[in-house]
Amino acid sequence: MAQIPNLDNSPLNFSSLREQSQKDLLNILRNIRGNKCLIIDPKLSGSLAMIEPGVELRHLSVEPIQTEYTRVVYIVRSQLNLMKLISSHIKYDISKGLQRDYFVYFVPRRTVVCEKIFEEENVHHMLTIGEFPLYMIPLDEDVVSFELDMAYRVESDTSPLWHIAKSIHKLEFSFGVIPNVRAKGKASTRVADILNRMQVEEPVNSTDMGVPEIKTLILLDREVDMITPMCSQLTYEGLLDEFLHVNNGAVELEASVMGAQQDGKKIKVPLNSSDKLYKETRDLNFEVVVQVLRQKATSMKQDYTEMTTTTQTVSELKDFVKKLNSLPEMTRHINLAQHLSTFTSKASFLGQLDIEHTIVEGQSYDICFEYIEEMIHKQEPILRVLRLLVLFSVTNSGLTKKHFDHLRREILHSYGFEHMLTLCNLEKAGLFKKQDSKSNWLTIKHALKLVVEDDTANPKDISYVFSGYAPLSIRLVQHAVRSGWRSIEEILKLLPGPHSEFKRGGYPSISSSETLHAVPGNIDRASDGPRSLVLVVFIGGVTFAEISALRFLSAQHGMAYDLIVGTTKVVNGHTLLETFMDNVP
Amino acid sequence: LLWKESWELGKNPMASKGSPLHGPRIKLIEKAQNLFAETKEHTFESKAAEEHAKLLRCQHDLEVSTKQAIFVDSSISDTIRTCIVLGNHRAALKVKNDFKVPEKRWYWLKVFALATIRDWDALEKF
Repeated sequence: MAQIPNLDNSPLNFSSLREQSQKDLLNILRNIRGNKCLIIDPKLSGSLAMIEPGVELRHLSVEPIQTEYTRVVYIVRSQLNLMKLISSHIKYDISKGLQRDYFVYFVPRRTVVCEKIFEEENVHHMLTIGEFPLYMIPLDEDVVSFELDMAYRVESDTSPLWHIAKSIHKLEFSFGVIPNVRAKGKASTRVADILNRMQVEEPVNSTDMGVPEIKTLILLDREVDMITPMCSQLTYEGLLDEFLHVNNGAVELEASVMGAQQDGKKIKVPLNSSDKLYKETRDLNFEVVVQVLRQKATSMKQDYTEMTTTTQTVSELKDFVKKLNSLPEMTRHINLAQHLSTFTSKASFLGQLDIEHTIVEGQSYDICFEYIEEMIHKQEPILRVLRLLVLFSVTNSGLTKKHFDHLRREILHSYGFEHMLTLCNLEKAGLFKKQDSKSNWLTIKHALKLVVEDDTANPKDISYVFSGYAPLSIRLVQHAVRSGWRSIEEILKLLPGPHSEFKRGGYPSISSSETLHAVPGNIDRASDGPRSLVLVVFIGGVTFAEISALRFLSAQHGMAYDLIVGTTKVVNGHTLLETFMDNVP
Repeated sequence: LLWKESWELGKNPMASKGSPLHGPRIKLIEKAQNLFAETKEHTFESKAAEEHAKLLRCQHDLEVSTKQAIFVDSSISDTIRTCIVLGNHRAALKVKNDFKVPEKRWYWLKVFALATIRDWDALEKF
């Protein structure tokens, strides 16, 4: 089975993106003559594997490089500590009297600070420096990732925003200028501004592009909706990520889980849309997935018994063999689902779901408060506690000073004082804070119909991905696609960050917040041909459940759009909160 | 004031990750405490720093008296649990009172700790 997803069915020509990156990488390698040792940033290795399967690479580490080759090629992100590492390698080689040629390629671009470090370390003159413009990686047929790690904490560093705008601008070079832009959240509006500036400085010539392939760009800042990622995802793919961590389209787990004999060995299971069964089940609620698998297994068994009892024509035999081909997929997913259900059937998980729903309902403050307090007392894993706390704090727009201080104190006492910093980071980001205004969560919840009871087997609404809670972010997208921001202007004002909406043409139009409105009238409803595309970009990460909800939307009857997702990273509540506690050992 | 705040925040984790030499570490934390105390809105941080310093001292004493280097750098709850597991109920009670641990948490800790050492009799009694 393919390790990387097949992109041929993509609504947008993503394979060209991948080919371009592959070509760039090959060019870099070809231009350096002779044998060489390629050393890459471990953070990049996953993404490079997505574009270049089967290349033997070495990971950058503290140890000096042991190789007989005289040419060493580094492919790294422009981060200061990595520069120090490279310098130390070179210095080590000098001390051993080794003569080598060094090449450093920055992903996606070189920065002045990094070169400054080489100068300071006095190794700059020994290096050949270049760029490897890898801005985004197609994760699947409808998802691209910019693979930016820290993009949630944008306050201190605006380079991720530049990176995002640049990526979108690059897309426009291949697919035409996107005429409608809608943005919500601080980072989003800034990306939109940078994007406009880029169009002025380096315009995409729209006349020879024909009709732009992407009709609308929706930019959403994660800060607008911190509630959704804190809830436990209940889709198949979402759960796989919550419990097993999907990394670059694969999960790694014990071989014994997959029914293999060797114990303790880890194997990688690829998960992407090339796997037909996975494509069919990934976005379903997990409960339904189990049913689907059971059904398939029984029907297969039935076919098999029929096969052994009666005589068959050749064509019937052929059909049967075809069905058998899907057997490895079946076993793989049955194994995975079984493994997942060992987690989902635990009482603690069910309790967690229960309390999440209670918090989102926003009615019983005391119950939630006591539940969280008790979790801290029992010293349950801190990330789970923090997830609930953030959920609790955001829906209440903060806690009263007394409760805030009390819970903070209990956390420090239970988990150690080093978490002071984590708490401080969360407070700065406004995720766990003192109450300063009355909560408007109930209004938002009501106006956007966020809590919807639905039949998980035959869902009519996106709320099925969380078994009853419709992700706020996706509701916003739903409105934005249908009629732009105007219809929900009042609600948008209640959510953090400014919003903007404007149209762009061959010439960049003047844009300022809340000025021009898109005309939603002339949507080609009767179009049988290619449907128009909407690119939804999440700045600060998106969860698999949200992607599923978007897929659900674009598959809906009467939806004139295909939705594709761009994100800085695929996240879940855990990985998101980990960025807030990176200083803690 | 703002730059001061960020400066001591930088100091704080450095201190808690620092060397096993307590003297300088405790001093650093106390310094942070005083700096926090200078501004009005950081009383919580100041108090936390104060408690942290107190905890380190107390853990140091415990390590000396039990001759086991397992206390420093664990949290207050962990310290209490370790004390009970070691059968040192007096010390546990002292830590509890020193840091004003609420009853609810105290009971959880005690139950967990007693269960770890399978001291069912004590669990029964209490």
